Amino acid sequence: MSLNTDFMVKVAQTAIQGVPVTLQIVLVALLISLPIGVLFALIRIYRVKGLQRLVQFYVSLVRGTPIIAQILIVYSAFPSLLNMIIGKAAFSINPIYYAYIVFTFNSIATLTEVFRSALQTVDKGQMEAGLMVGMQPRQTFWRIILPQALISALPNIANATLYLIKNSSLAFIMSVKDITAIAKTEAAFNYNFLEAYLVVWVYYLIICYGAEIIFYLFERYFSKYRRPIKNRTGFNWFPFSIKQPKLEQK
Amino acid sequence: MLTIEGLKKSYAGNDILKGISINVNKGDVISIIGPSGSGKTTLLRTITTLEEANGGRITFAGVDNDFQKLNGKEINTIRRNVGFVFQNYNLFNNKTALQNITEGLIVARRVKKNEAENIALKALERVGLTDRKDHYPSQLSGGQQQRVGIARAIALNPEVIFFDEPTSALDPELVGEVLKVMKDLANSGTTMVVVTHQMSFARDVSNRVIFMADGYIVEQGEPRKIFENPSEERTKKFLTDILANV
Ligand SMILES: Nc1ncnc2c1ncn2[C@@H]1O[C@H](COP(=O)(O)OP(=O)(O)OP(=O)(O)O)[C@@H](O)[C@H]1O
Ligand SMILES: [Mg+2]
Repeated sequence: MSLNTDFMVKVAQTAIQGVPVTLQIVLVALLISLPIGVLFALIRIYRVKGLQRLVQFYVSLVRGTPIIAQILIVYSAFPSLLNMIIGKAAFSINPIYYAYIVFTFNSIATLTEVFRSALQTVDKGQMEAGLMVGMQPRQTFWRIILPQALISALPNIANATLYLIKNSSLAFIMSVKDITAIAKTEAAFNYNFLEAYLVVWVYYLIICYGAEIIFYLFERYFSKYRRPIKNRTGFNWFPFSIKQPKLEQK
Repeated sequence: MLTIEGLKKSYAGNDILKGISINVNKGDVISIIGPSGSGKTTLLRTITTLEEANGGRITFAGVDNDFQKLNGKEINTIRRNVGFVFQNYNLFNNKTALQNITEGLIVARRVKKNEAENIALKALERVGLTDRKDHYPSQLSGGQQQRVGIARAIALNPEVIFFDEPTSALDPELVGEVLKVMKDLANSGTTMVVVTHQMSFARDVSNRVIFMADGYIVEQGEPRKIFENPSEERTKKFLTDILANV
């Protein structure tokens, strides 16, 4: 078996047009779901009457169903729904909007849980200290609590983003022309599926690696203030060794 | 200046404070002592509105009302006129020592940034930490963190500062530096209410000692009187026990 490298180059060149589409889906979903995730997390933490049940139900609903089922449902339900509201125009809507909807809904659920646990890692003494220097609860939340929660949430946000990037490849089901969809179409012309999929593979690897680096830099920059503690208190003992591990100090 | 009458507090049906009355005058340095679980922390937290009281009255900074009837404005007034030094420091972890102090000045008091920094630097100087101004709490020792906590409180120039066992989370060798700062404050006329297990502070620095047990004030008076000639049997027993351990 030999790989048709010329074809791979060709697919790479065509599929690169899908990169912005993939990034767009990821960014839109992230930017919308970050604030809503914080809001939903707060609703759960403060047990806001009525709403808290709703959020809990929403989170279980999204987390308890495969994303492919969510995609199929949104993709078949929304056009006809919209058709009832705005008429025929509904069918000429760019399918990328359906992708935005599915992936945003999806990451809201993930991030709600991420922020809920992150907010709960912030000591309640931080709020009390804010009140005792005369700040309002709202001010203390924005300036003291939320920044700390966001930083401790960063690894999990990074995780959620990587899943989002990879899941976004399912957008081809909704005929969104992302990396996967383009490569698939190219492959179908020539029956060079393996080559096309290898290209897809490399593209996602690069995007995910890029995202990892960005998050790593974020984390390094923002967690300046707690680096010394981390080294001392994190788990670092190899469970099968009798001696304490030697760790270099950064 | 601060008067509390008949303060009551219960948690889930358990009465913790059973009618406490205190009068704090300007310049007072009051030590509150008493066995663990007697309600000392709860007392400070209810006075400063961190906890809601179940009864009693407060007269302070223009507020004169039942604890349970305090409205938002009155609560803000109380909070703006007290300082609080926490047992576990509670410095803002995402702020440097200097920012910990300027935060309240800038956000709550609307002081201009460079002016706030000047005030903060002066406060840091008083606690001897000018050279640590750009350190984050995680980069400071417990004693240094607590001194920043004290600087944060004094920078706002409150009517009265409450201390909840400010040295009890510290390693023994760090207790001294914090006590020294508190002594300096006391000598410069700062009004202080200090919950403490440091009998030397209670005896030598404060002008009044309050002995609490089981949610009541059992006895209060000048340190000399409390330590040398307590009138209540409970006070006597507590002091013998605690001094035996020193
Ligand atoms: N949030 C709470 N919920 C329920 N019970 C509480 C709460 N906070 C305090 N208590 C109870 O109130 C009582 C008094 O507690 P408090 O912390 O005021 O005592 P303390 O005098 O400060 O003791 P220590 O010297 O150990 O600090 C204790 O029995 C404690 O269990
Ligand atoms: Mg206490």
